[in-house]
Amino acid sequence: MKRILMNRPLAIAVALLPLLLAGSLGFAQQNAQRTASPPNKELPLRQIVKLPGKLLAETKTTGPTGDLKLTGYRVEEVTLSQSLSTEVRGQQVNVNKAWRVTVTGGPFPVRALPAVIWVDDQIVGYGIENETLSQITAVTFDDSLIHDGGVVSLSYGENKEGRTRISQKIQLKREGGNQ
Amino acid sequence: MTLTTKRSLFIFSIAFMLVLGGLSRTAFAQVPDPGTPGPFAVTREEYDFGDTAFTATDFPGPIELRASIHYPTNLAAGPFPVILFMHGRHATCFAGGSALLQWPCTSNNSQPIPSYKGYDYVSEVLASNGYVVVSVSANGVNAVDNSVFDLGALARAELLQKHLDILKQFNTTGGAPFGTKFIGKFDLTRVGTMGHSRGGEGVVRHYVLNQSLGAPYGIKAVFPLAPVDFNRFVVNNAALNVLLPYCDGDVSDLQGVHFYDDARYNVPGDQAPKHYELIMGANHNFFNTIWSPSSPFPGSANDWLAFVPGGHSDEQCGSGKNNQRLTEAQQRGTGLAYMSAFFRVYVGGETQFVPILTGDAPPPPSAQNSNLFVSYHAPDNPELRLDVNRLLNNTNLSVNNLGGAATQTALSPYSLCGGDDPQPQRCLPDQPNARQPHTTPSARSAARGLSQLITGWNNMTGNYRNNIPAALGNVTGFQALQFRVSVNFADARNVEGLAQNFRVVLTDASGASSSVRVSDVSAALYFPPGSVGPVPKVVLNTVRMPLTAFSGVNLNSVRSVQFVFDDRFQGGLLITDVAFASAPR
Repeated sequence: MKRILMNRPLAIAVALLPLLLAGSLGFAQQNAQRTASPPNKELPLRQIVKLPGKLLAETKTTGPTGDLKLTGYRVEEVTLSQSLSTEVRGQQVNVNKAWRVTVTGGPFPVRALPAVIWVDDQIVGYGIENETLSQITAVTFDDSLIHDGGVVSLSYGENKEGRTRISQKIQLKREGGNQ
Repeated sequence: MTLTTKRSLFIFSIAFMLVLGGLSRTAFAQVPDPGTPGPFAVTREEYDFGDTAFTATDFPGPIELRASIHYPTNLAAGPFPVILFMHGRHATCFAGGSALLQWPCTSNNSQPIPSYKGYDYVSEVLASNGYVVVSVSANGVNAVDNSVFDLGALARAELLQKHLDILKQFNTTGGAPFGTKFIGKFDLTRVGTMGHSRGGEGVVRHYVLNQSLGAPYGIKAVFPLAPVDFNRFVVNNAALNVLLPYCDGDVSDLQGVHFYDDARYNVPGDQAPKHYELIMGANHNFFNTIWSPSSPFPGSANDWLAFVPGGHSDEQCGSGKNNQRLTEAQQRGTGLAYMSAFFRVYVGGETQFVPILTGDAPPPPSAQNSNLFVSYHAPDNPELRLDVNRLLNNTNLSVNNLGGAATQTALSPYSLCGGDDPQPQRCLPDQPNARQPHTTPSARSAARGLSQLITGWNNMTGNYRNNIPAALGNVTGFQALQFRVSVNFADARNVEGLAQNFRVVLTDASGASSSVRVSDVSAALYFPPGSVGPVPKVVLNTVRMPLTAFSGVNLNSVRSVQFVFDDRFQGGLLITDVAFASAPR
């Protein structure tokens, strides 16, 4: 992923806001030295979904797409309040940022098989529905998935053949330039 | 032979098969119907300790402690065996006509969707036959389970265990809201669990949890209904029954068949029988009345039509004129019959229903449906099962599990697929996972699928033979020769819509042989129906051939079992689990 230029005050603000919020979510109670979570286990996905994010890309379709009535998506970057240990591309690494891909539309069904959000042929993650079932969000720690020209799609289960695609490709916003 | 003679022979053959089929059914006409209401009047009540009364380990939301309880009104005959039900993932709340996913229901005027009430039709019948049935509400799990790694399996397991703890309190000291009336009325050494959808994995995970805690409750039988199997936990040493709806539009890859496949040879000496039923016209949701289109609650759906793109047009599962779909009532009838049979046998000890679960007896009238296939794996007990060939590894292609030679003539391919490396992960490499449930990957486990023999023949000389060492040739103690098989719809040698067939031949030490056509005892060699999305699909169904059908061969000294492919000019099959077996006692 290309680095996004950011001015210093804004960077500090973006970094501090999640810290403040995370405190209320109980993050601050954890031992500051114990920054690593168990590998691939309980990552605080639900908290990450709720943290404020920086909008990197957004699109709205001209009309509902497919049986799932997809209306668009947005891609956000989230700065974590503490680093997490997780697996990215087969390597156990500490991360301090996450990326959210949120697909809008629906109302989405609540099914046994989890919703799965893809960029191109790569799985971003299993989807977490919002309360009104109008959005599904997946979280990834792999920034290589978030790239210009990526195609966002949604399936239930890891069913590559059954995906509903959003035709508008990811177009990352450029800091300080035309969007 | 004249045309008239041929026609007469054909008509005679058909008539003979019908008579034979009728006779085999007549032989089990005395098996009673487990889905018939029993002698006890039934009372239904609920207990409710609040929407946020329970917290599961590392789970990011509160969970309610609420359940219905059906029990014999006259408790004097207690203690009664206990059956726990757990629904699966569904919307948790509704407001007006909109379904919501939150817990507790905090939006303006929103109310809970009572998924736990969806199995009352089973609870009533079981309670009338002398069982206490508790159906647990799990909306708090559903609201946030996609945000935990195991997708809620442990939370569901802990919730079930908590309800058993509550029942234990009712049974010992009593407590609100029932006071002392249930003291001594629950037999918590005889417990069965049924879970639907994600609840299906929940009851399996719960079985494992209860065992890890020293088995404080006696879980005798576990029934995953249209289950997910994300994590690949295994039920060992307890009876297992998986129900698989062929037209499942939600868990459309029928991944729950892994529960059966994984358990078969997992623990040496496992005395527990394992079963599954493939229900040809059933979908995912109709087993729960609250999730069905006739329900007044938002979020209900005919899942095949709602979730499978183009599903309406499928000739088997869709909505066209000649579709094979079951109505809500038929589907619930089938669920009632097999849940009742299973729990009454393995929790209640009512062994008269065993033939229904082995497929030796047809579906009972309460099932309202006969288009289903029963599979059965006998306990690991030398008196009940003699494995001829498990077909687990490449050695089994030449040496079977009895130490005899395994050979083939004119079969191509003749190889294993679906099992552990180096077998190919999928048996039908060009087909989607949803069409090959036995090898579909699991969301949270790298475990591989069912090892199967993939084979076929190009002329009438194909033969698959397993020799039996002399010391093991006395099979008189077994009821049947059985195996699991499916027509490989992706093999062009099979004709779409046409059932396959072959002969099974037993040969004794004197060289005498006897053969039985598969079609004489089973319809399992059907061509898998459907053409849209997840169908057709290969599900290996058990064929059980009664040894009494092999007349003229000495069952004291059987020397070989052969599959002789001379009934159809060509074909392709998937085969596993060749064994002599008897029903559980």
